[in-house]
Order: sequence, then structure tokens, then C-alpha cells
Amino acid sequence: MGCAMNRTDGRAIMNFEKVDDYRFRIPARGKMKAPGMIYASERMLDDIRQDRSPEQVANVAQLPGIVGHALAMPDIHWGYGFPIGGVAAFDEDEGVLSPGGVGYDINCGVRLLASELSRDDVVDRLADLSLELHRAIPSGIGSRSHRRLSNRELKQVLRRGAEWSVSNGYGRERDLQVIEENGVMDGADPDRVSDRARDRGRHQLGSLGSGNHFCELGYVAEVYNPAAAEAFGLRQDQVTVMIHSGSRGLGYQVCDESLRTMIRAAQKYKIPLPDRQLCAAPLHSVEARQYFAAMAAAINFAFANRQMMTHFVRQCMARFFATSDDALGLDLVYDVCHNIAKWETHTVDGEQRKLCVHRKGATRAFGPGHPDVPAIYRAVGQPVLVPGDMGRYSFVLAGTDKAMQETFGSSCHGAGRKLSRKAAKRAARGRPIFKELRAQGVFVRSDSKSTVAEEMPEAYKDVADVVGVMHRSGIARKVAKLVPLAVVKG
Amino acid sequence: MRSGYRQIDHTADLALELWAPGEAELLQVAARAVIEILTESAEIPAESSRRVAIDAVDREDRLVQWLNEVIVLAVADGFLVSAAEISLGETSLEAEVRGQADASARIVTELKSATYHDLLLELDFEPEPGSGPDCDFERARVRARVVIDV
Repeated sequence: MGCAMNRTDGRAIMNFEKVDDYRFRIPARGKMKAPGMIYASERMLDDIRQDRSPEQVANVAQLPGIVGHALAMPDIHWGYGFPIGGVAAFDEDEGVLSPGGVGYDINCGVRLLASELSRDDVVDRLADLSLELHRAIPSGIGSRSHRRLSNRELKQVLRRGAEWSVSNGYGRERDLQVIEENGVMDGADPDRVSDRARDRGRHQLGSLGSGNHFCELGYVAEVYNPAAAEAFGLRQDQVTVMIHSGSRGLGYQVCDESLRTMIRAAQKYKIPLPDRQLCAAPLHSVEARQYFAAMAAAINFAFANRQMMTHFVRQCMARFFATSDDALGLDLVYDVCHNIAKWETHTVDGEQRKLCVHRKGATRAFGPGHPDVPAIYRAVGQPVLVPGDMGRYSFVLAGTDKAMQETFGSSCHGAGRKLSRKAAKRAARGRPIFKELRAQGVFVRSDSKSTVAEEMPEAYKDVADVVGVMHRSGIARKVAKLVPLAVVKG
Repeated sequence: MRSGYRQIDHTADLALELWAPGEAELLQVAARAVIEILTESAEIPAESSRRVAIDAVDREDRLVQWLNEVIVLAVADGFLVSAAEISLGETSLEAEVRGQADASARIVTELKSATYHDLLLELDFEPEPGSGPDCDFERARVRARVVIDV
């Protein structure tokens, strides 16, 4: 099948080469240094073409030192620089580091807790339980921590990540074994985080934020892979808690400042940019090393953030059920990052290579046997957590060998928006969204009706379609489906 | 002289179209747009002042940096800009901004950052009659489009 790149009304509309039912290649042409590869179903392609995200895949492929394909997972949609769902790996000598391949919300990610409770234990108490969770977790616009950090403490957070939180009483030692990077990214340098970024984050550690961030109580509605579910500690009807949040204002500020540095760096190192948001510097340059150090610090802030909120959830539910949080279980299943760049070793054309892998709205999905998968999961593969919208479902998947071979061990991260925020608000006008969700069995707690309108289920694509592509293509296998019962929205 | 802004539909985030007779006025409009979005159009008194200095790569970069200064002053410092006196160099900016301090409680919307995505800044813009949102647009000579991550 041939490929043509046509421009209509200033937008590139791309025909793809169909590789198989779930892979569509954008052949390298013009300034592309590598081909692109989009994971999707045929049915998704029209929507994908509409928002110019394939053009962004082609733009990523223009960056120096790119290895293999510029990839996009089936939740692909337009982003800043990289598309959301974008994955790209760069050679350690020839490649670049780009903040546009990480995103503004550095280490936005999600974690899953599994409890000893079953759906029947909570279903008649959701109104009160959701209210208590809403009170327990700082959320919403400008949400602030229960704790104000000193400069010294903040530096420790930026160096130590989730371990700082556990050492300060927020969580369990064993939590650290089931977090990507064990909850702390090497190479963090707090001195590379500006005063302004620290000021933005200082009051926000242990808070959810707003927008699409959430804390969701749900239950395991379906188990697809009993062996993997058992390894992950998941069972039918089990109550779960999912937390989605990132590095808050600190991460946004690090990204914003790094873009300015990298725009100048791209000029300095003569890196042509198809899109200024793809500004980049050679991996071993001063600029790239400094951004990496700041990014790693922001990553650690996000790990510490999600860890603190985990503790608040445990405390809240222990109080509510008048028992200990140990008795409730609420064990951490896993914590994954969606927006990150890191050094990994991958096999490329039979050779082991050290690469800088950027995942922007994509999740690591390492397969069975990989040493970076926690020992308790190593036989089945890394848990991959894929949240959907607040009305339908989310999924737990497991990483595979095929992901290691094809996508640098990467998978999708979520559903992706279908409606703009404005369009969602228009669609929600005059509708009792909270009541509609309650009628579906979901209690939503939020201080902002506007945010709930923007985040309503029909504003999002169906995550089952996205997950279906990952499953059928063999990149990540379905393990369980989670259905929401109560959601705290920012 | 007329100037203004409007929000354009954009899938995940917020896009602004801005217009003004000149570039300094456009930057003032941009600041007003951001503050009105952050506060849902609250009236902001000009009680105190701050200074802002920007050294940008080019004019487009300056627009993004300016907007991010206004955003960060609001979300990090609680300072809401209500007016700005702006002096422009070729790619630099100095401004005295006046507004309200300790006003974090008035912020009702979260904005993360102005971006370079789909960024447009036209300095000698000639609008076609009837092409803009209202008749003010036709007096504009500077037009911009900027997307803000929310």
C-alpha cells in the first residue's frame, strides 16, 4: 500500500502503510530520519487523522539519533511536541533529550491499591465513604498539602522521591518495591530546580491537583488472566483504589523553563525543529544533563506526591471502617509513570543498546523475566495501569516480550479526549452530571462542577478500544477490568 | 483603539486568539485574557506593583514567556495582574505590572503553562472585512494565537 502526504487547508493528512491489523507505518520521507509506527485499529484511523497527531509522529522522527520507529500507542492524540501516546528512543551518542517528549506534568502517573474489601462491603456506604475520601485528599484548583515543606525538606523530596514519604511516615516500606524505579529516579539534582519551581511545588506535596487527576474507588469487575491477576493480588469483586496525579506546579515550571533553555540549545547545536515544542539538545550536552537532573527531581516529587496520598487513603479508610489499614490490605499493586524520559537497555537488531527512551502519555510495559520488573511479578510481566473515564472502566494489563521487541517495552496510558473542554462544558450545560453518574452507580465528589463537566465520560474515547489494540497486538495483555464506584476529582 | 480576545475550541486545552493595534497592547490583552480565565472575570484592583523583565529568543517566544510570567505570578505568588505598562525591545520586555497581591483565593481555574504549539504572531496583520469575531478585529494590526495547557 503506498503512502502519500497531502496538505489540505494547511494540515497534513496522511495515508499509512498497513503493516498488520494493529500497526500502521508512516514511511520515512523528507526530513524524517526514521519511519513512524502507529498502533491502532482501522476504525480509529479517521479520528487519529483529524487532529494532526500523525504529523507529530513524523516530526518526532526528524530528531537526531532516533532509533527504530517514532512510535504512537492507540491512545494517540495531539500533544505539545510529541503526540500524547508517543514513544521514541534515542542513541546515547547521537541522540537528543527533549522536554516535549516528557510533557509539562513530569511523571504524571497512576498507582493502584488492592484491598481486602469486596464490592458488597462498600456499595451501600459510597455516599459517606466518598465524602470522607474527598475530605482526606487535598484536591482541586490550587490544592495544597497538609504539610508545608522547608527548603531542606523539599530538597530531600527531590532527591529521594517516594522513599522520603515512607521515611516520614507516609506509607509502608514494601510500597517502594512496587513502584517504577522503586520510587526514586537516579540523577536528580535539586539545585537544578529553580526557586520559582520550588515555590510552585512547596505547598502542593500530597495533593491531587485538578483537571483529569483523580482518586477513584472501584472494584474488579472482570478477570481476564487469572494467573496474572493472582500474581498482582487482584481478585473478582475486590475493592481497589486508583490515584492519578503528577508533579504539580513544580513539574510544570521545570518543563516551562527547560523549553526556553532547549530552544536556545537547539539553535546552538543546529538541530532543525519542525515544531518548537520539540526543542532538544544532544544527550551528553550540558543543557541535556541539566534538564535531566531537573526532570529527575520533578519525577521524584511526583513519586513522593502519590505516596503521600496513598497514606491519606489508607488512613481515611481505616477510620471509616474502624479498623487498621493493614487489616484493610490496601496494598500497592504498582505505580507507573506516563510522562518520563530515562536510560534503558534494549535489544535493537540483536544488539544490546543503551537508549534514552521518552514516553509521553505512554506507560512502561516490561515483559516477563525483565530484571526491572519486581520479583513478585517477574514471571508474568510488569503491571500496566490504564485508567479510563470516571463513568465506565479502567484496565490492568501485563507487559510482554512483544512490547520489548516492538515498542521499547511501552504501552498505552489512557483513553484520550474526544471533546474539547469547551465542547464538554457545552454538552453538560443544564445537565445534572453528578446525578447522572450516581444513577450509573458512581459517586463523584469535586469542588468544581466545571471540572466534572469537562471530565465527564462522554468527553473521552472508550479506553476499551485502546486496550483492545494493545491486547490483540500482543503488546500488553489484559489482566482485569476495574469499574468505578466513587471518584474524587480535582 | 480597539483590542480583544476570544477562546477558540481546542481538543484538550485552551486556545486564545488575540488582536490589538500594536504589540505592547496585544501583550496587555493577553495578560487580561489569562487573568479573566483564571478568575472567571473578577474585577482586580491595582493595589500593588511588580516588575517583569524578559529576554526572549524572538517575539513569539516573548509572548509565551510573558503569558507564563502572568500565570506564575498568579498561581505561585497569588499576584493577579490587572494592568501593565510594557516597554519592548527587539526581543526583550520590561514591564511594571499592577494588580492585587495575596489573591490566590480568587483563582477558580487552573492553567499550567502557555505553549509554543500552533503559536502565531502576526505583526502587520490585515484582517479581511467581516473575518473576525466583531468589528474591533478590523482595526487590529497585530494578531496572535496561543494554546495554553490546562
